[in-house]
Amino acid sequence: MAGRRAALKAVDWAAFAERVPPNQRPMYNALKTRNDALTARLAALPEKPPAIDWAYYKANVAKAGMVDEFQKKFSALKVPEPVDTQSAKIDAQEQEAAKSTAEYIQASKARIAQYEQQLQKFKNMIPFEQMTFEDLHEAFPETKLDKEKYPYWPHKPIADL
Amino acid sequence: MLSRLVLRAAPAALRALPPPPLAVGVLHATRQLHTTQQSLAPLPPLPEKGGEVRHGLIPEEFFQFLYPKTGVTGPYMLGTGLLLYFLSKEIYVVNHETVAAACILSVIIYGVKRFGGDVAAFADKLNEEKMAKALAVKNEAINSLQAAIDEEKKEQWRVEGRTYLFDAKRNNVAMLLEANYRERLMMVYNEVKKRLDYQVAMQTLKRQKEQEHMIQWVEKNVVQSITPQQQKESVAKCIMDLKALSKGAHAAL
Repeated sequence: MAGRRAALKAVDWAAFAERVPPNQRPMYNALKTRNDALTARLAALPEKPPAIDWAYYKANVAKAGMVDEFQKKFSALKVPEPVDTQSAKIDAQEQEAAKSTAEYIQASKARIAQYEQQLQKFKNMIPFEQMTFEDLHEAFPETKLDKEKYPYWPHKPIADL
Repeated sequence: MLSRLVLRAAPAALRALPPPPLAVGVLHATRQLHTTQQSLAPLPPLPEKGGEVRHGLIPEEFFQFLYPKTGVTGPYMLGTGLLLYFLSKEIYVVNHETVAAACILSVIIYGVKRFGGDVAAFADKLNEEKMAKALAVKNEAINSLQAAIDEEKKEQWRVEGRTYLFDAKRNNVAMLLEANYRERLMMVYNEVKKRLDYQVAMQTLKRQKEQEHMIQWVEKNVVQSITPQQQKESVAKCIMDLKALSKGAHAAL
């Protein structure tokens, strides 16, 4: 019976719910309702069916041997356990998720580093009151007027004014 | 970038190296001129206001320069003397252009004195607006970057919750299997019980029917066997019993 008794891991639904991003709420709700439905269904079923009172039946059923036959067949009967087809898939999904999350976290960290860099640049800038135009062009290269491409004033296409 | 700053500072350093013949210590200047040997990087901010001037023309340093020798009135005496010298020696000739200059200058000075403050304030306001816009842009950029960083950190925290998802899924699967198995057991039990109960019920029913039939048959036969003679005798006996009973009842009363 070891394959059957996969112990149910306690899932902290509160912490789970916290981490769900808002655009995936419906999926989370669907999962939760399914889980609740299954829990209810499981709780409603007794773990073992009640024992059949063979003595009573043996005393009362007139047909000879029928009860004995039933009893023998009943105790010999092995109910097949339902085959678990999904666990392997779930494990595979988990592996994939682990990989993709690792990648995502990498990319995310790179992005954070970039943002931090830009943030530092902004924080270390001299205040605008003390800047000359040269300093401004250093800090914001996009403000520099391209005097080679547009040699005549205003040194940028008229549409950009 | 640092190289550019060094290049900018180089002329300052070059100027500073041979001290100028005008001894620096004598000038009680309001500003230090090229005294330091260091090249400052980044450059210190440019001064907001220019050097002090008296009467709009003569720098304050001149008065300070003459003060030790001639006191407060020295420069004015010098100025008056020079002016009189130019006029008397006709180095400066008074002609119609003098009058024109006087009128123009007086108008200009009046205009500047009256409107100078307002114009300056207006120009300052324009500049302030530009600065404020630039500052707003910078602050917004800083805030958005900060928010982006926080968002990324939050997403990373969120991602950690994926274990819950898979646990929940596995739980679901396990519960489903378990429920299925139990249902199957129950089904087996129910079926067997149904069949056995059926047998028992059949038997009890049969027995009941047999009993009923037997009783009826016995009754029928008994009723049939009561001959008319026996009926008359039993009726007469009943009447006699009743009379005895009624006598007994009368006696009791």
